[in-house]
Formats: sequence, structure tokens, C-alpha cells
Amino acid sequence: MTDLPIKISARNVDVFYGAIHAIKSVNVEIADKMVTSFIGPSGCGKSTFLRCINRMNDTIDVCRVTGDILIDAEDIYDRRVDPVQLRAKVGMVFQKPNPFPKSIYDNVAYGPKIHGMARNKTDLDEIVEKSLRRAALWDEAKDRLQEPGTGLSGGQQQRLCIARAVATEPEVLLMDEPCSALDPIATAQIEQLIDELRSSYSVVIVTHSMAQASRVSDRTAFFHLGELVEYGDTSHIFTNPSDKRTESYITGRIG
Amino acid sequence: MQEQHIVTAFDRDLEAIQSNIMKMGGLVEAAMTGSATALDDRDVDLAEQVRADDKKIDALEVLINEDCARLIALRAPMASDLRTVLSVMKIAGALERVGDYAKNLAKRSVLLLGSTRIDGAEGSLLRMIKEVESMLGDVLNAYVAGDSDLAETVRLRDHTVDQMYNGLFREILTHMMEDPRNISTCMHLHFIAKNVERMGDHVTNIAEQVIYAVNGELPEDPRPKGNIAVADGQ
Repeated sequence: MTDLPIKISARNVDVFYGAIHAIKSVNVEIADKMVTSFIGPSGCGKSTFLRCINRMNDTIDVCRVTGDILIDAEDIYDRRVDPVQLRAKVGMVFQKPNPFPKSIYDNVAYGPKIHGMARNKTDLDEIVEKSLRRAALWDEAKDRLQEPGTGLSGGQQQRLCIARAVATEPEVLLMDEPCSALDPIATAQIEQLIDELRSSYSVVIVTHSMAQASRVSDRTAFFHLGELVEYGDTSHIFTNPSDKRTESYITGRIG
Repeated sequence: MQEQHIVTAFDRDLEAIQSNIMKMGGLVEAAMTGSATALDDRDVDLAEQVRADDKKIDALEVLINEDCARLIALRAPMASDLRTVLSVMKIAGALERVGDYAKNLAKRSVLLLGSTRIDGAEGSLLRMIKEVESMLGDVLNAYVAGDSDLAETVRLRDHTVDQMYNGLFREILTHMMEDPRNISTCMHLHFIAKNVERMGDHVTNIAEQVIYAVNGELPEDPRPKGNIAVADGQ
């Protein structure tokens, strides 16, 4: 693997849901300005681990995270870190598009507003347009900005959620199966978008589609039973994986 | 070779392709034996048979390539499956070339009818064919067993074939210098020898593909070259 600046660094991360040990001593370094995909069977812990990166697991009472996760060498589980600020820096897109029940404009403007990123309406307009353009939704949405976000098609809603996530100028973008509810055309549009976002962010995507992981990511991490089994260049993982379990999983064999 | 796929039809497709490769390998082996015997016995019928059977080899190569294309399109093979499919296509190509050389040998054996036998050279040539044939048998076994060590030994044996060719080259040259009436026969024998040497190269390529399919990497060290009888570029 080539040496790029490390954006996210996890050291000995364990996650427990009550008595269930969901993530077992994961160590991983995620590079900046790269797309990293997490793959693995259902229940392997990939989404749980993803949710640790912006402390989404804080919202689950029984969930306990130990070990260190650093972004730009700063411990995000430090007492002084405000999770709300953290989530502005680490954006997230979910499996099912979940626009706010507000207008398209307000969906995108919400984050910049609460984080005080715009001084006036002109600033905010600019941010909204820029974010929608980034999410490749501007042309389709520019004439209907005041219509409800929920009135868009599934693929458009997902791109709206991406626009909403990038509006706060995050440095890391987490995507949890962002295309699993979308048709192939919308999927291709999101993948094209991920490819463009790579130049500005560190993108981490959880996907069940091996083909998607191989298409969009530079590096791939394979999780199995809460362990990080193998992590390396995507082209290497999909042509010549080192671990027997990775091989079995990506070739569609039992194991 | 490995545990089964969850989708068992995937295993069936892969097995079908691999069994066609083995069938093709068997036909190529038979073509080599047949053409060598046709040469040794000056057997025109057998030579004709080898030429006719080459069509079956060509047809199998087409079939294997089509099956591989379909498997890539429909099953999106990954990792060792992907390497298997890629190597199968290359192995089919190499086998087809070996088959062609055997066919050429059969043709030339007909042209040698009625010419004076050059016993020493022909004996050496038959030994060389035997060696390449045995390498082909071994590499096919290595393929079936997924045995990269066996494939590696085959790869290294190409050196022997090159040395045999060099020896034969000199032998043939001596016969031509001794008696110009041998030139026509010797030219044919030399072409055959050169073709058998090329067969050895293709068998070596197959061995490398077996190593790639099994280990995920082509062998790193260059294999020893023993072919010095002909200057580069000729």
C-alpha cells in the first residue's frame, strides 16, 4: 500500500453491546483522500465499526467502546470532544435515504445554519448550491428548492442526503450501504459521486456489494465475526487475498 | 480444489470449463504422440488423422473462451475463481498452439516420405518430443491437482528441451555439411525441432499459468534460457 497521510486511526478498538462482543481489537489506519470500503457478512461488525467513527454508537445505551479512535491524531472519544461538532466534521449517509420533512433547500441548509457557517442568506444560498452541485443534484433540484425533500425519487433523496452531509464541509464521509435501496442508474450516479468526493474527503463506505466495493474503493477491509481479517489495496484483495476467510467470502464460498 | 460455492451452479460452470481444458489437453497429448509415431513409422494415415483431429482442438479452444466469457459476465468471479478463469483462457490458447505445431509435424512427416532416414537426428528428435510430451502430461496433472511445485519443476525442465534443441541443431548442421543431398530432409527436421522447442515454451507458459492460478503471482525469477543455437531476432 502506498503511503498517504493517515486520516483515521483506530487502535485496539473493542465494542460491546451489553455482553455481546461486537468488535474485537480492531486496528486500522484509514488514509486521507481515499475511498475505503468495509465488507463482510451481516453481523460481522462493519457497520458497528463505521458508527464508532462519528460516535453514532453513543446513542445506544448498552453500547460500550474501548480503545482509541483518532482523527488527525486527535482522540474523538476524549471527554472534551463535542459529538455534535465531531459529526459536522464526520458526515454520514445511511442505507435508506432519510431527508428531513422539510424543503430541499432546508434539508441542505440545516447543518450550516446550526453550525453558524453562514453569515447571511447569500452565504447560505451559496452553500446550498455548492452542496447540491457536489451531490450532482443541482440541475434536477434548482427549480424546486422549496418543494419537500421527501417528494424526490429514491436516488435523488439519497443524493440530497449526501448534499446535506457535505454541506457542513466535513473531512470524513461515512456511508452505510448508501446504494442498497437504489436502482442501477441511481447507484451509478452515487458511485460517480463517490469518485469525485475522493479528491476532497476521506470516504469510508460499508457495502454488501462486492462489485461496488471493487468499483469505488482504493482500499478494502474485510470484517468477519467482529475481527478485521484483512485490509489492503482493493485490487489485491479481489485478485489475490492473503487470508483464507477473505478468499472464501469474496468468492462466494461457505465460511 | 476448494470448498464449494454457495451457488452450486457456479461450481458446475467452473468444473465444465476445467473438464474441457483436460479434454483439450488429452487431445493435444494424443496429437503429439500421433505425429511423433507418424514421423517414426512414416505412417501417412496416422499423420492425416492428427491433421483432422486438430479441428477438435481448435473447436474446444473456442468453446472454452466462450464459456469463460459467459462465466465472467454472469458470475463475476473473484480472487482464485477469477485467476482460474484467466489462466484457463491462456492455457487453452497455449494448448491450441501446441496442437498446431503437432499438426505441422504431421504434415512434414508426410513430406519426408521416401527421403533418406537420418537416424541419429531423428532419434534425438523423437527423444525431444517425448520430453515435451512428458512435460505436458506433468503440467496437466499439476493443473488438476493445483500443484504449483510440480508446475515449477516443469518450468525448469524447459532448459533441458532448449539444450536438446541446441544439440540437434548442431547434429543437423553436420549432416547437411557432410552431404548436400540431405539438406531438404534436414531442413524439415530442423523446422520440426524448432517447433518442438516452441511447444516446450508453450508448455512452460502453461506451467506459469498454473503457478499464477494457485499462488496468485507469476514466478518472479526468470527461467534459465538454454537456447543459444540461434542468434536473437532469428
